[in-house]
Amino acid sequence: MRVWWRRYAALVRSAWLVDLQYPAAIAIWMVWNVTEPAIALGIWWSIAGSGTVQGYARDDFVRYFFAVTLINQLTLAWDAWYIDRWVREGELNFRLTRPISPVHEAVSDNIAYKLRTGGAALVLWIAVACFWPAARLAWDPGRWALAALAAVLAAGIRFFNGYATGLLAFWTTRVSALMELQFGISLFLSGRIAPLSFLPPAVVSVAGVLWFPYMLAFPVEILTGAVHTTADYWHGFAGQVAWLVAWWLLYVLVWHRGLKRYGAVGG
Amino acid sequence: MSEAPQRVAGLARVLRALLRLNAVEELQYRANFVASVIGTVFSMATALLTLGLFFRHTTRLGGWDYWEVVVLLGIFNALTGVIEAVLRPGIGGLASEVRSGKLDLVLTRPVDAQLFVSFRTLDIWRFSDVVFGLALAGYALVRVGRVPSLVDLVAFAVTFGAAVALVYAMWVALMCLAFWFVAVENISVLFDAFYEAGRYPVSAYPGALRFIFVYLLPIAWVTTVPAGALTGRFGPVTALVASGLALGALVLTRALWRAALRRYTSAGG
Repeated sequence: MRVWWRRYAALVRSAWLVDLQYPAAIAIWMVWNVTEPAIALGIWWSIAGSGTVQGYARDDFVRYFFAVTLINQLTLAWDAWYIDRWVREGELNFRLTRPISPVHEAVSDNIAYKLRTGGAALVLWIAVACFWPAARLAWDPGRWALAALAAVLAAGIRFFNGYATGLLAFWTTRVSALMELQFGISLFLSGRIAPLSFLPPAVVSVAGVLWFPYMLAFPVEILTGAVHTTADYWHGFAGQVAWLVAWWLLYVLVWHRGLKRYGAVGG
Repeated sequence: MSEAPQRVAGLARVLRALLRLNAVEELQYRANFVASVIGTVFSMATALLTLGLFFRHTTRLGGWDYWEVVVLLGIFNALTGVIEAVLRPGIGGLASEVRSGKLDLVLTRPVDAQLFVSFRTLDIWRFSDVVFGLALAGYALVRVGRVPSLVDLVAFAVTFGAAVALVYAMWVALMCLAFWFVAVENISVLFDAFYEAGRYPVSAYPGALRFIFVYLLPIAWVTTVPAGALTGRFGPVTALVASGLALGALVLTRALWRAALRRYTSAGG
């Protein structure tokens, strides 16, 4: 255990220092993450007008999309694109010769990057909330702690989902298309374009058995207060744990099968 | 006196050769065509579903009804085709070439560097987006139930041309930033981020955003104006303003390009 703690401390520190070299590039990625919710907020803002849509007034939309921005920043998954390239261009080779599995390096990169950018997003939100009452959340540290826990689980689901999908590069050259497909679906089922309750009920119930709502919508709705009954919490956290385990198992399976295949191609 | 026409003829020859080379190259990969079409259909379906979601809760978006916004969406898609086919594979590579110094290989060629960088690589399959997009816009126009007059069509052609020029200018301007801030290989992401706003009529945004999209980042001129020209919301005056704006943007980016090249210190610098 102590050994792993030291390994991770070293890996995260190194990832943190690497990120330090690219402040402009990281700022650009953050702008990209802010604009999609900002556009959606702009549209809902004008649709809501002075009334409400499905019980959401303008202020509720503001809080919802601020929460989407923050949670999305904390749960992003980009590894699929890297793995795809590593497998196709053979860059995986030197990573395999290291005495520690490449997945630990990826997890550390994620921790370092999200501490930095998630922290920045949080500071930005607090700064905006100082001037704009609509962006303020009700004081409720217990709820925030639960949202933080849900965000960590969501980040785990998205990480293993992306990592496992990326590893399909051992078999196909269309990994980015598979990611785009999931990205398109998550626009609706993860709540990126609107709260889930805005979708037709049949679609919402289908979404409930897939992993999409647990990757983003669930922590967001804890933060905004849309999820507040004990039953909702149990249901949400159970779904998160189930999908986290499922995608972790899929990752393990694809990794071992894929490596055998990769060796066969190279050998 | 005969030098200018000769130069133009020379440039046209270079352009034709580049187009032919790229076509021959891409024709080897026909599976990419199928993949590209599936991708287009999927992204159009997502866009229409998003629109459907908005219109479940409203009857108008910024004063535009459903089919009018679909006209706009078709134009957005057509423009996306131009971006993906020409701009991203061509000038989109500039930032990383500035960083690595590979731009040297372009600058030593006996042809205008901006022209060459802009049109060297074409992803010709993505031109299918232009076809699909215009087809969607045409269908939606029928559903709007308005037959555009000849003036409307001319205004549309002019504003769409202006939109292409503006988008090109934005890419050149962004890429030129790489000459100053070297470690920004992902700078095209900034364009993608703001271009997304062009999916909806600019009147659908709150005042502050609308101001930004009309006067600071010319997003309004890129999709709202051509779509509005087609549905008769804007007349010839707007078309004239749009073409003036596009011309100004092209002249500005040419100046910016020259200033940027003067800063370039090549691989060893």
